[in-house]
Amino acid sequence: MIIMKEGNKRIPKWSRRVFVVAGGTTAYRKWFPEYKIEELAMLAFRQMLENNDLKMDPLEVKGLINFCVYGEFADHFQDQLLCESKVHDYLGLDPLYNIGVKTGGATGGSTVLAAASAVASGYADVVLALGWERMDEVDTRTGNMYISTAACKDFETRLGRIYSSYYAPMAKKFMDAYNLSEETRAKVAVKNHLYACSSPYAQQPGKYTVKEVLDSRMSAWPLRFLECCAMSTGAASMLLCDEKTAYKLTDNPCEVFIAGGSHTLRVADRRPQEIPLLPHETKDMYKDLMKPGFRYPGFESFLASRMAAWFAYRMAGITNPLEELDLVELHDAFTISDIQTYGDIGLRPYGQEPDYIESGDAYYINPNTNKPGKCPANLSGGLIGTMHAVGATGIFQGIECMWQLQGKYDKFHGDPKIWKQWGKEKPKDWQSLQIPQKKKMQAAWVSHAGVGSHVTLGVMKKAW
Amino acid sequence: MSDTPKEVQFIGEETEIMENDPSMVIKWPRSLVHRHTYGKLTPFFKGLQESKLMATRCPNPKCKAKELWLPPRAHCPDCHADMKWEEIPQPVIATIYTFTKVVYAGIGLELTTPYWQIDVEIPGACTIFKGYLKYGEPKVGMKVKAEFRKDKPTNTILNMCWVPHKG
Repeated sequence: MIIMKEGNKRIPKWSRRVFVVAGGTTAYRKWFPEYKIEELAMLAFRQMLENNDLKMDPLEVKGLINFCVYGEFADHFQDQLLCESKVHDYLGLDPLYNIGVKTGGATGGSTVLAAASAVASGYADVVLALGWERMDEVDTRTGNMYISTAACKDFETRLGRIYSSYYAPMAKKFMDAYNLSEETRAKVAVKNHLYACSSPYAQQPGKYTVKEVLDSRMSAWPLRFLECCAMSTGAASMLLCDEKTAYKLTDNPCEVFIAGGSHTLRVADRRPQEIPLLPHETKDMYKDLMKPGFRYPGFESFLASRMAAWFAYRMAGITNPLEELDLVELHDAFTISDIQTYGDIGLRPYGQEPDYIESGDAYYINPNTNKPGKCPANLSGGLIGTMHAVGATGIFQGIECMWQLQGKYDKFHGDPKIWKQWGKEKPKDWQSLQIPQKKKMQAAWVSHAGVGSHVTLGVMKKAW
Repeated sequence: MSDTPKEVQFIGEETEIMENDPSMVIKWPRSLVHRHTYGKLTPFFKGLQESKLMATRCPNPKCKAKELWLPPRAHCPDCHADMKWEEIPQPVIATIYTFTKVVYAGIGLELTTPYWQIDVEIPGACTIFKGYLKYGEPKVGMKVKAEFRKDKPTNTILNMCWVPHKG
């Protein structure tokens, strides 16, 4: 088993406070030949500078930037190494220094972590975190094969060449162990495709029924196509800064905390160990689970997600996530990985993950009570409904959290001009997914790689 | 500079235009060969050629775990010592831990679809090992036996598979 010593358990701490003040995104598409990737990056960058009610001229804000961190998952999709340099130059940010970050599906979250660290350390006052992916140079099956090279080349890749086949065995195990039904899994897909219908940026919006999800084409049993994330092209952008600059730039800054955890790329190599407990959990809660033959994290859970939450909640002062978070954005690459994460980040105790959906807590409007959900998840439409342009994803979901806390969901999703900009018409039955505003609010978002190899959990707090 | 030709000749291939509106999209073929080393894991892949399943164990008496690793590792992640190789006794009988039916696979898959991808518990190993079931239908808890494929060896993990084991 993995043994963490005291030094390994140090809670991350910023040397000074870090804030997020603005965000931008493009729409996401399966096939996006109208723009080159640096052009899409520019559109996300411009929306960030121009449309976030910053109290300075966009070019003056740009003039405050000291450092840039870029996220891109896979060079081979574009057959372009060092795309960071192309984007950086294209955005007109030379000769400032920039670095590229790569941690698979968690690239977006890691990009924000690197950008926030630069602010926290004093290396920079204002940092751009921008991510993208261009996954449309190759057809879907080639794309699947490229992504599967983010499994172990020697012991896994050739056994599937598609990531759904690495998640599906976990789905089987989870369904058996924790009494998860196919219908509950399908409800996650129904919910996230539906929320994508309110987003002008969404690639896979749709009003599906549970039956339609379960009748959709099989990828790797039990996972159907409608339970799998989009393969996307697009970009997202976030501006982070120190406290003084934050309040100079906006009346609505959000304070940010973010930490990560990691675990083996091969699910095969997950050795059993004790459950690291979140602040609101006790060992006693899991005594029934820890029976002979039970392996933690096994195929049911993600140690990396648990450790990201373990560190980030303590860093951000969260003692009970379900009670204290107003919304979450989770990395729903597959319905099953979304559900697995509910236990890891403490929205439910391990073993009771399906209840987060069945209780209605995960919904904008709880279908059982017709009242707002306790802690709605993926109002952005997530990866299943809206996008998974991998390097952009963890940034996109962070700015969706920020816009929710700022009360700007409608501004960024309901404006017919934004729909038109991306060649769409705002639906006549468009529905706002803005959560109710309160004095104190906080959100969490998860960025997740591999079958749980790298995971970050970020916490954003309304800071005005 | 007499070796410089008068004029540079284009020796590439003509490129196909796939779309022209609103943007020009061209075909960009790629076909490459990599040289992939198995490094210190070579005994595992040589073992497959000899119908053996080779695993590693940490020999360090001070290392607490001393677990059997399969997939093998050359170095112990807990104490960093060089691991020692062990052959899993024949016949290799494992138990299905979980599985999936792969229906839609990425390009280049060398197996016919659909097929059962299985994750198995091998006695003594601290890991759960991934493979595929050559025939039959898997169930959790079912016993399977390792088989080594000699026909058209890829010298990859596909040199082995599992078959149902009765008894």
